[in-house]
Amino acid sequence: MNDTNRALNRTILLLVGIVFVALGASAVIVTVWPPAAEYWTRAGDAAGAWVDQAVEATMIGTTTLSWLAIAALALIVLLVVVLIVTAVRIIGGGRSHTVFRSGAQENPLGRVIVEEGFVSDALTHSLEQRDEILFSNVTANDVRRQPVLHVSVTPRQNTSPRDVVEDVDQLVTNLATMTGGDVPTFISIHSGLRARLADDQRRLA
Amino acid sequence: MTTPAFHRIVRRETHSPRTVAMIIAVVILILALVYVGVEIVLDLLTQPALLAGPEAALAWIVGLPTAQPAGAVVAGGLALAVVGLVFVFLAVAPGRLPKHEMTWPDRAVVVDNGVIAAALAQRISDETGISRDHISVGVSHRRVDATVTPGPGGSLDAAGVHELVDAEIAAYQLVPPVATRVRILRPPESDLDR
Repeated sequence: MNDTNRALNRTILLLVGIVFVALGASAVIVTVWPPAAEYWTRAGDAAGAWVDQAVEATMIGTTTLSWLAIAALALIVLLVVVLIVTAVRIIGGGRSHTVFRSGAQENPLGRVIVEEGFVSDALTHSLEQRDEILFSNVTANDVRRQPVLHVSVTPRQNTSPRDVVEDVDQLVTNLATMTGGDVPTFISIHSGLRARLADDQRRLA
Repeated sequence: MTTPAFHRIVRRETHSPRTVAMIIAVVILILALVYVGVEIVLDLLTQPALLAGPEAALAWIVGLPTAQPAGAVVAGGLALAVVGLVFVFLAVAPGRLPKHEMTWPDRAVVVDNGVIAAALAQRISDETGISRDHISVGVSHRRVDATVTPGPGGSLDAAGVHELVDAEIAAYQLVPPVATRVRILRPPESDLDR
């Protein structure tokens, strides 16, 4: 999970969608409906005259360049930059590297700092031992400024999700006992190509 | 303490972020803007335009009602409007992913519907002795559909399977809850019919 601003995602989609619908619909309407065509031509001619006049009035010295064209260009560059920056800022963020931190006073084990890598290795190694678990991945993310452990598990097909969660729950509880602090944990159980390709029965060995 | 955080995680994990659609929309916008910018620059440098210079483009837009071929204009307009409608739909639709939340003390748990379906099918197979290949289970947002085909000459009590599925589902404590539907297909007359 990340900090992608989903409301902004949808707002951008909505605005772009409305603009596209408006442009497309106008093109169709002015072509097939004479009154609209008449209105369009009149408005278009008026706008054209205004643009001609504006270009005339904003000529730079004796050149054929118009400030209007430069301004349009600047506006386009600005818009492109804003769009790129917004898109990049929306995506990502929220990763946390320290899962748990406690001072000597609050923890009987003393001062403890637990990093993501340690928890990740400990849990994935324990989960690898289990035959019904094909793949697991552990990350720490900041949710509302609080580290949350995300344990993602792909079990063998036909494994009861309840059993899987029970296993993971137990492992996380053991880890909490060892480090002296329980971290909020989110468990996701996945199906997918990996589960479909693997044998759906446990190997008896 | 962690309930609001869990609530947020579960909501985000069970709904599409729409990031891909957003990026597509933004890239289309950027490409259009860059194209317009290039045409303006070419015009300022008095170079030949790529397709049409700013003046010709404006004239074309004003003359759109009489532009030929009219069919192409209508088709293009419709295509643009349809793409726009798709974007609007993606912006407004909930974008629910095929996953369920599982109630669990002190942990947030999200399970793919496919995992639930496979586990239910396995459970039915274990309890009834019918081969796993003759059981299909589909899990959607609010319902579970189990279809069982008993072996040749065999028969099966739908109520029993229903009870079995309900018990298994109850153990998962899914949010939102699902309704169960069980269908028992007529068994084939002999093995050759399969």
